[in-house]
Amino acid sequence: MTTSVRWQDAVLGAAGTGGLFLLWELASRSGLVSTNVFPAPTTAIIGTLQTVPLADILGHVWTSLGRIFWGFALGAVLGTVIGIASGWYRALGVLTRPLIELLRPIPPLAWIPLAIIWFGLGEPSKVFVIFLGAFFPIVTSAYRGMIGIDPALLRVGQTMGLRGPMLLIRVAVPAAMPDLATGIRIGWGLSFGVLVAAELIAADRGMGFMIMNARQLGDVDVIVFGIILIGAINLITDYAIGAVIRRRIGRWHAI
Amino acid sequence: MADPARSDVAPSKIEICGVSKRYATDDPDTPLVLDNINLAIGDNEFVTLVGRSGCGKTTLLNIIGGLVESTHGDVKVNGRTVSGPGQGKGMVFQQHALFPWLTALQNVGFGCRNKGVHKAERDQIAHQLIELVGLHGFEDKYPAELSGGMQQRVAIARALATDPEILLMDEPFGALDELTRLEMQDELLRVWSAHKKTVVFVTHSISEALVLSDRVILLAARPGRIRREFPIPFPRPRKRTDPQMIALYDDIWKSLA
Repeated sequence: MTTSVRWQDAVLGAAGTGGLFLLWELASRSGLVSTNVFPAPTTAIIGTLQTVPLADILGHVWTSLGRIFWGFALGAVLGTVIGIASGWYRALGVLTRPLIELLRPIPPLAWIPLAIIWFGLGEPSKVFVIFLGAFFPIVTSAYRGMIGIDPALLRVGQTMGLRGPMLLIRVAVPAAMPDLATGIRIGWGLSFGVLVAAELIAADRGMGFMIMNARQLGDVDVIVFGIILIGAINLITDYAIGAVIRRRIGRWHAI
Repeated sequence: MADPARSDVAPSKIEICGVSKRYATDDPDTPLVLDNINLAIGDNEFVTLVGRSGCGKTTLLNIIGGLVESTHGDVKVNGRTVSGPGQGKGMVFQQHALFPWLTALQNVGFGCRNKGVHKAERDQIAHQLIELVGLHGFEDKYPAELSGGMQQRVAIARALATDPEILLMDEPFGALDELTRLEMQDELLRVWSAHKKTVVFVTHSISEALVLSDRVILLAARPGRIRREFPIPFPRPRKRTDPQMIALYDDIWKSLA
């Protein structure tokens, strides 16, 4: 029964998205909206594929994915380690929490000028900003996960002879996993958003650059195509991460 | 299986000597949770701590388990002072506290894994205990997929897996419905007869204490202290409706009031 409900939901969701695209397509084709300002999705896709070589497009995608991979990986690893350590060692938590709370509300994009001064216009400045996008949600949820562990589980671990790092690894970390997984998913979405913004500002490759470059050339097709592409890639990668998480913890934790 | 004289003959497994507990240790005005508890528990004896909420029975159990430190006095197991959890003391809590990310089988094998028992042996032990608590066929279920009674069975099997000499149970059936609770009491006695342990069992159900234990220790509250002891000399399995049991129930109830 659950499966069929899920199917129904999926079909309904797809119908909604498809319907919106259809409306957009019709609005543009009927001349209701000017194609020069907002081309139909098919116009944008076909137009782009005719003017921009596929290898270039894939190159932009590849560059963007490389940046996001490094930024996100760095943010995920550091966020997880610092979040878990802060939740486990009380003194460390007292030290790091105010700092994290202070920095967390700052939009990662506000760091871009500083990142450029620190790291120049090359890859590190973009990776840094993406890192910030991933780090804060992950560190926060890892910490929350640790703080929220049912103390009874830790007691049981202790009665089974676990203490110190072993108690952390065998009981606390798995118990904090659902919260951490949520943080990782939010972090991925955020670093994706930050990626494009970072590329808009200073880059000579990447999906953000592709869009920005098209604006200078006045090529609306490529801009729209780029937006659709970013959405699609984010959707696919988010789904993939969600699938991995469900596989790992879905059976024991309702997501 | 039943040997009413055993507790008198057997040497003390657990010795509780002058144990007092005050939670805010820096403030002498805070009331004592436990005041000078002295109690000797024999090998393989089944002792139940009964009392109203706030009488410190759970605190006493946690002190025996090494999870909480006493303010004064100490607890000896086999003549050695308890300095921390583990060390041959299995615990079962009111909330089953199973690890939600492990299957029933993995939960039962958890303690063995910590002790470095190899997987094959660990699985064998876990399978046997799963069988013992009547959960054959549920080995690969996660705690969330089991009913309350089943979860508590897994928790008992998990506590038994490392073959502790002492089993400390803190209202293990308190969160279960009445029928499951009666079932679990019989189940526990069956398991206990198969794996003899020294059991300290906390409950606020007098009838549960009467069915299960060799001796009922009645605690009074504020501060927690031993009010009376009741040996239960009847052979098991005991009938809850036995007139002698009912008389003893009344006796305990009057002492509690």
